[in-house]
Amino acid sequence: MSEPVISLEHVSRVYDTGKVLVPALEDVDLRIERGEFVAIVGPSGSGKTTMMNILGCLDRPTAGRYLLDGTSVEDLDDNGLATVRSRSIGFVFQSYNLLPRTSAIENVAAPLAYQGVARKERLARAKEALERLGLGERLHHQPTELSGGQQQRVGIARAIVTEPALLLADEPTGNLDSHSGAEVIDLFRQLHATGRTIVLITHDVDVAEAADRQVHIRDGRITA
Amino acid sequence: MKLGDLLRLAISRLGTGKLRTGLTMLGVIIGVASVVALVSVGQGATSGINSRLEGLGTNLLSVTPGATTTGATRGALGSATTLTIEDATALTTLPDVAGVAPELTSSRLVAVGSQNETTSVIGTTPAYPLVFAYQMWQGSFLTQASVDHSLRVAVLGNTTASNLGLGASSIGSTIYISGLPFQVVGILQPKGGVGFANPDDEVLIPVTTARDLFVGTDSVRTIGVSVASQADMSTVTAEITSVLDQRHGIGAGGTPDFTVTSQTQLLSTVGSISTLLTVLLAGIASISLIVGGIGIMNIMLVSVRERTREIGIRKAIGARGRDVMLQFLFEALLLSVSGGLIGILVGVAASAVIAVLAGWAFTFNPVTVAVSVVFSLIVGVIFGVWPASQAARLDPVVALRYE
Ligand SMILES: Nc1ncnc2c1ncn2[C@@H]1O[C@H](COP(=O)(O)OP(=O)(O)OP(=O)(O)O)[C@@H](O)[C@H]1O
Ligand SMILES: [Mg+2]
Repeated sequence: MSEPVISLEHVSRVYDTGKVLVPALEDVDLRIERGEFVAIVGPSGSGKTTMMNILGCLDRPTAGRYLLDGTSVEDLDDNGLATVRSRSIGFVFQSYNLLPRTSAIENVAAPLAYQGVARKERLARAKEALERLGLGERLHHQPTELSGGQQQRVGIARAIVTEPALLLADEPTGNLDSHSGAEVIDLFRQLHATGRTIVLITHDVDVAEAADRQVHIRDGRITA
Repeated sequence: MKLGDLLRLAISRLGTGKLRTGLTMLGVIIGVASVVALVSVGQGATSGINSRLEGLGTNLLSVTPGATTTGATRGALGSATTLTIEDATALTTLPDVAGVAPELTSSRLVAVGSQNETTSVIGTTPAYPLVFAYQMWQGSFLTQASVDHSLRVAVLGNTTASNLGLGASSIGSTIYISGLPFQVVGILQPKGGVGFANPDDEVLIPVTTARDLFVGTDSVRTIGVSVASQADMSTVTAEITSVLDQRHGIGAGGTPDFTVTSQTQLLSTVGSISTLLTVLLAGIASISLIVGGIGIMNIMLVSVRERTREIGIRKAIGARGRDVMLQFLFEALLLSVSGGLIGILVGVAASAVIAVLAGWAFTFNPVTVAVSVVFSLIVGVIFGVWPASQAARLDPVVALRYE
């Protein structure tokens, strides 16, 4: 393969709480190839979410370089980062993070609105994505009217509706029972089969088994 | 994000908290409604006064006793008794004067059969209808002969006639003024006019009769002078002044003991006072609009706090700072502008009701409406920008962590 999609070079992220400096990531090097399915595994507090925020261009490293698709992220301003998130990245959050008081279909259509896609096309694509995830009967339900597993699937539909090059999932099974969890993992395998690059973050070793490759992290450093 | 999407987002958001939306809008509604209503009331009152004054004829000069002095105090107009019937007669000889009508007024009980009322009994001359712009309805006006011979004849104002139960068939009948019999020779057409004294409630008798029977002296309250042409107003004013100065023995530099006022002067004075009043009222009302704006800002700031997580999510799925900013700004604008539109409806309705109650013409002023809309838009922008920019500046990572 040619260029990696993701390349972290000596990346550190230090949180400044005002009183103390908390190093959440220290000198991390990581390469992820196009179309790879990688699991990032580590105990609580090891820096997994911090890493996802950096990979997803929500946050910037305090030191080191992050190349996404060959572009250096430090060179982008806030609008530039927003554009990258909008075009190339899909997030699946640990706590679903659906827009409140917003129906499933509107939730899934929202990222397309920020891409400037016309409303009709947006709704059509959102419907398609939800149907793909078996939620064709739940298009107009509010998040509060959906089960945890269904909300997570709406979250996944929202992440894939823009057909992003990179799909980032932070503990997507953390809040689910083992059956729904298995369903979600199954879904990631299917998406991977269609050629998408997937980074799955988890502290559950069994879930990590589903990925092609596992990256272990502990105290902000990659161990294996 | 496209404008249509932003608008749809704002509408659906405001629809989810109807009570809160309504209460927030109420501030702007009250502000705009009071601006619209008060300005309309001010203009209604002004045009009411103006039409009353214009009803007197724009070519009218009023000569009243008492001097116009600036600085020093002077008696109320008409309180001095320096003008006489002879002064009025002298003014009739001036070249550009169309008519001169003195008014010798007293308040008298007027009775017909069992009907009676107390009204102004005005001694005057045949020029009265010309000078004060009255038309005859029935019969004819006082003649020069009736003045010359101090006849006991009377012309009734329209309201007075109907109050006394007199109509078209009453010409020639007898009425009693302070117990003295008078023959009705005419009834005037109603003039309408609003507020203050009703111009149709009066009894007109020859000036000489009034002097002999009711007033006792020949000092008149006013002399109305109708000028032949509007262009001659200032010339005639000067002529009147010089004739009266001469008659009253007032030399150059002396203080005249009378005042000549033109109708246009009075109109412009009333105009500037009422404009001032209107501006004052609108100014007070716009304070409530500002309070309404602060209400919007307050609710928007609360909203940004409450929805911190939503903002984080939106940024994660591709919203730029500008998109978030516009989303919140649109909500503030929608609140203020729809509040403004409702306020206009309420204000217009209120001013229509007030106009009916006060009896003046209801004036709908599109300028006030346009200004109110623009003003509420400005309120929305001013009080919406700060909360919206707070939302736009939120760090997505921090916002997503917010509970
Ligand atoms: N905003 C912040 N300010 C200060 N310290 C922070 C902040 N965010 C994270 N940290 C610290 O950085 C470290 C890594 O946090 P992170 O959220 O990345 O862990 P994690 O691996 O995702 O844990 P979990 O599995 O529990 O979600 C932790 O020690 C945490 O306390
Ligand atoms: Mg985490």
